[in-house]
Amino acid sequence: MDIRIVWHECKKALLSPILVGLLLLFTAFNIFLIVNNSYFKDELKVANRLVENYGREITDLSLNQFEKDLQVDLVKLEKIIGQELSSVHEFLDGLNYEDHELYSESDWQFIEQLRLKEMYLGMANEIDGKYTRIDLKKVAEETITQTKVSGNAAKTLRNEYEEFSKRFEEMKQNEEHKEWFFAGNAYFMHKFLFKTVFLHIIIEALMLIILSTVLITNYEFENRTHLVTYGTPRGRRLMKDKLGASVLTAALLTTFILVITLSIYFTVFDYTNLWGSSISSAFNWEYNFPHVAWWDLSIGFFLAGVVVIVYITMLLFSGLTFALTTLVKNSYVTSILMAIFFVLALLIPGFMPTSSNLLFITGYNLSILVMNIPASFMGSSGLFMFKNFEWMTAVCWTIITIVLCVFSLKWFNKMDIH
Amino acid sequence: MRILWNELKKILTWKMMFLLVLVNSVVFFLRIEFYIEYFPNGSGIYSYDIGVEMIDKYGTQMDDEEFLDFKEVYDLQVKEADQYLQPLKGFVDAGIDSYEKFNTYDWGSSSEEVYQLRNNVYHEDKVDTFWELQERERLIEFYEMKEVLPGFDNAKQEKRYKELIAAEKYGVYPSVAIENFREFITNVAIAILFSVVLVISPMILRDRSRQLLALQYTSKKGRNLYKTKILAGLVATFIVITSLLTVYFSIYSLNKTSMYFDIGMNTFIGNESWYDPTFYQYIWLTVAAIYVVGFVFGLLAMSFSSIVPNTMALIGIQIPFIIGMLIFGMRPLIKYFILIWNPQWLAPTAYNTMVVVSVLFINYLWKREKKRDIVS
Repeated sequence: MDIRIVWHECKKALLSPILVGLLLLFTAFNIFLIVNNSYFKDELKVANRLVENYGREITDLSLNQFEKDLQVDLVKLEKIIGQELSSVHEFLDGLNYEDHELYSESDWQFIEQLRLKEMYLGMANEIDGKYTRIDLKKVAEETITQTKVSGNAAKTLRNEYEEFSKRFEEMKQNEEHKEWFFAGNAYFMHKFLFKTVFLHIIIEALMLIILSTVLITNYEFENRTHLVTYGTPRGRRLMKDKLGASVLTAALLTTFILVITLSIYFTVFDYTNLWGSSISSAFNWEYNFPHVAWWDLSIGFFLAGVVVIVYITMLLFSGLTFALTTLVKNSYVTSILMAIFFVLALLIPGFMPTSSNLLFITGYNLSILVMNIPASFMGSSGLFMFKNFEWMTAVCWTIITIVLCVFSLKWFNKMDIH
Repeated sequence: MRILWNELKKILTWKMMFLLVLVNSVVFFLRIEFYIEYFPNGSGIYSYDIGVEMIDKYGTQMDDEEFLDFKEVYDLQVKEADQYLQPLKGFVDAGIDSYEKFNTYDWGSSSEEVYQLRNNVYHEDKVDTFWELQERERLIEFYEMKEVLPGFDNAKQEKRYKELIAAEKYGVYPSVAIENFREFITNVAIAILFSVVLVISPMILRDRSRQLLALQYTSKKGRNLYKTKILAGLVATFIVITSLLTVYFSIYSLNKTSMYFDIGMNTFIGNESWYDPTFYQYIWLTVAAIYVVGFVFGLLAMSFSSIVPNTMALIGIQIPFIIGMLIFGMRPLIKYFILIWNPQWLAPTAYNTMVVVSVLFINYLWKREKKRDIVS
C-alpha cells in the first residue's frame, strides 16, 4: 500500500460535492433532531445536582440526608403558601388553574425543583421493592411465550437466562443499580440517545459509506480510464490501495458524523456528573424491565463500547461493499444489493424455525448488532441477550469480511479488464 | 415505435426485474405482511364482525330506529353474559352476579383472585360475548356522542364537521377495515416509490457513461431520441406501478373487507373527511395518488439521471428527496390526505406543485439537451 495513492483515492470520495452535501445535510438534520427534543433539558440538571450533593451512590445515609434537606425545603414552601403540607405533590394536586398567579416566577421555579427532587426521592425509595419483585425465571418464560420460541431454542434461552440471573444477583449485591441517573420513565434519555440519535447516525453513515466505497472502488470503470490505470506499473495492486482508501474514508465519515452529533448532544444535555453512574442504574429503567448489563459498565464506558460497535460495523460494511463491488462491477446494482443485504439480515431470524438454534445463529449479524445498540452488552434485551453476542458477531464478521476481501482481490487479479 | 420498444427493453432488463422483486420482498416482509397476516388484529376481530353485522342489517347508515335495534341486540347479549356469570361461584361471592355489576366493579382495588377470574374470562375462556359487549358499548357510546364537537385547529374544520352532522353523516361504524387499509396502502406506496426510482434512475446516465451519445445523437433520429427515452421511462413507470398495484391488491383481497366497500368515509369512526367517497372510491383515490407520486418521482429520477456525473451522485442526490417524502410527505399526501385534520388545500396543492415542478424540470433538460455540447 502506498499512503500517497490511498490519500488520492480517498479524495475521490471526500471531494465529491454530492457526498459532502449529504454529509452536511445529515449532520444538520441530527442537530435539528437533538435541539428539537431538548425542551426539558433544564429539568435534567436536578440529577446532576443530586450527584454533586449526595455522591453518585445511593446509600441509606445519603438518602437520609436527602430526605432531611427535602423536609427543610418543604418547610420553606409551607411558609410561601401558608399551609401545612406532607408533599409537593399534594400541593400541586390541589391547585386550581387560577391559583397560578398567586406565586411569583421564582417561587414557581423553587416549587418545580422541589417537585423533581421529590420524584427522584420517591423513585430511590422504591428501588429495593421493585428489584426484589423481579423474577427472572418468569421473565424468561414470558419472553419464550411472547416470541413463540420452542424446542432447542427455548432450552438455549432458558440456560442463558439462568446465567443472567446469577449476574443479576451479583449486580444487586454490588448495588450497581443504586446510582443516580436521569429518571428513565420520565425523560427516556437512554432511548433518545442510543435509539433515536444513534439510529440516525448509523443509517446516515451507512448510506454515505456504501456510496463512497462504491465510488472509490469502481471509479476507473465508471470513468472509462481503467485501461490506462490498470496498465500502469502499479497495475492491479491499486485495488489494495482502494480497499485501504475505502476503509479510511468510512472511518473519516463516521468520525465526522459521530463527533459533531455527539458533541452537540452533550452540550445540550448536561451529563457532567453522571459519566460514572452505572448503565444498569434503576433510574435508567424505561419500560417493563430495567436495563441490566452483563458487566459493571458506567455510562461513559457504555457509550465508548457503543461507539466501538458503530466503528467496527461501519468499517466492515465498507469492506463488504468493496468485495461485492469488485465482483459485481456495477455500482448501481451493488449499492442496491448492499441496502437490501442490510435489511434482509434484520429479517432473517424471523424466517427461521422457532424451535431451532438457527434462530439465534442467524441473529449474530452486523445489522442486528448495530440496530440493537440501545440494548448492547445487556442481558435484558429479549432474544439477543447473549453475553457473547457483541464480540462474537464482531469477530465472526471481521473474519468473513477479511476472507471475502482477500478472495475478491485474488479474483480481481485474474479478471478480464476490457 | 421500434426505438421506443428497444429503449423500454433497456430499462426493464432481467437484472432489474430481479432487483425489483428483491426490493419488494424486503419491503413486503418488513412493512406490509403484518397488515395482511394479522387482520383483524387481536380484539379487532369483534369490531370487524360487528361492523359486518351492522352493514347486513342496517345498510350503509344507521338511523335512530336501527340504533334501537342495535341496543336490543346488546341487551340480549348482556342477558347472555348474566347467565354465564351467575353459576360462577367466585364471581357471585364477590358480589358480581350480573354483567352490569361486572362492568361497574372496581377492578383497581379488587382481590387477586377475582382479578384472576376476570382475566380468565377475557383470555383463557375467550368468552366472545364479553369482548363483543365491550365493542358494542364502544359503538353505542360513539352513536350517542355523534353530535358532540371535538376540539378544532381552525374554523374550516369546525364548519366541515358541522356540515357532516347536518347531513347526518355520523362516524359510527367500526373503523378497523379502513385503518388497516390505510396502513397497508401507505406501505405499498413506499414500496412503489422505491421500485420506480430503482428502475428508472440509471436509464439516461447509462447511455451517457458508456459514451453512446456521440453515436445516438448523430443518427437520423438525432437528439429527439432523448424524448423517446423519456417516453420509454414514463411507460416503464406505468408498467411498474400497475403491475405492483395488481400484485399488492390481490394480496389485499385476502383481508376480505369488500363488505365495507359501500360505506362512506365519514361514516367510519374518526374519519371525518373533506369529501365523501365510499370506501371503494377511496381506494381508487389512493391509487390515483400513488400514480401521481410514482410519475413525479419517475420524472425526477430521469432528470437527475440526465445531469449527474456518476452512479454515486445519482443515488446520493435522490436520498434527500426520497427520505423527505417518507418523513414529511407520506402522512399528509397518502395516509390521511382527505381527512379534515389536514388542511383541505394541502394535498391538491402539493400534488400540483410536484407535477408542475417535475414537468418543468424535465422540459428544461430537454431544451438543454437540444443545444448541449456532447463531446466535452
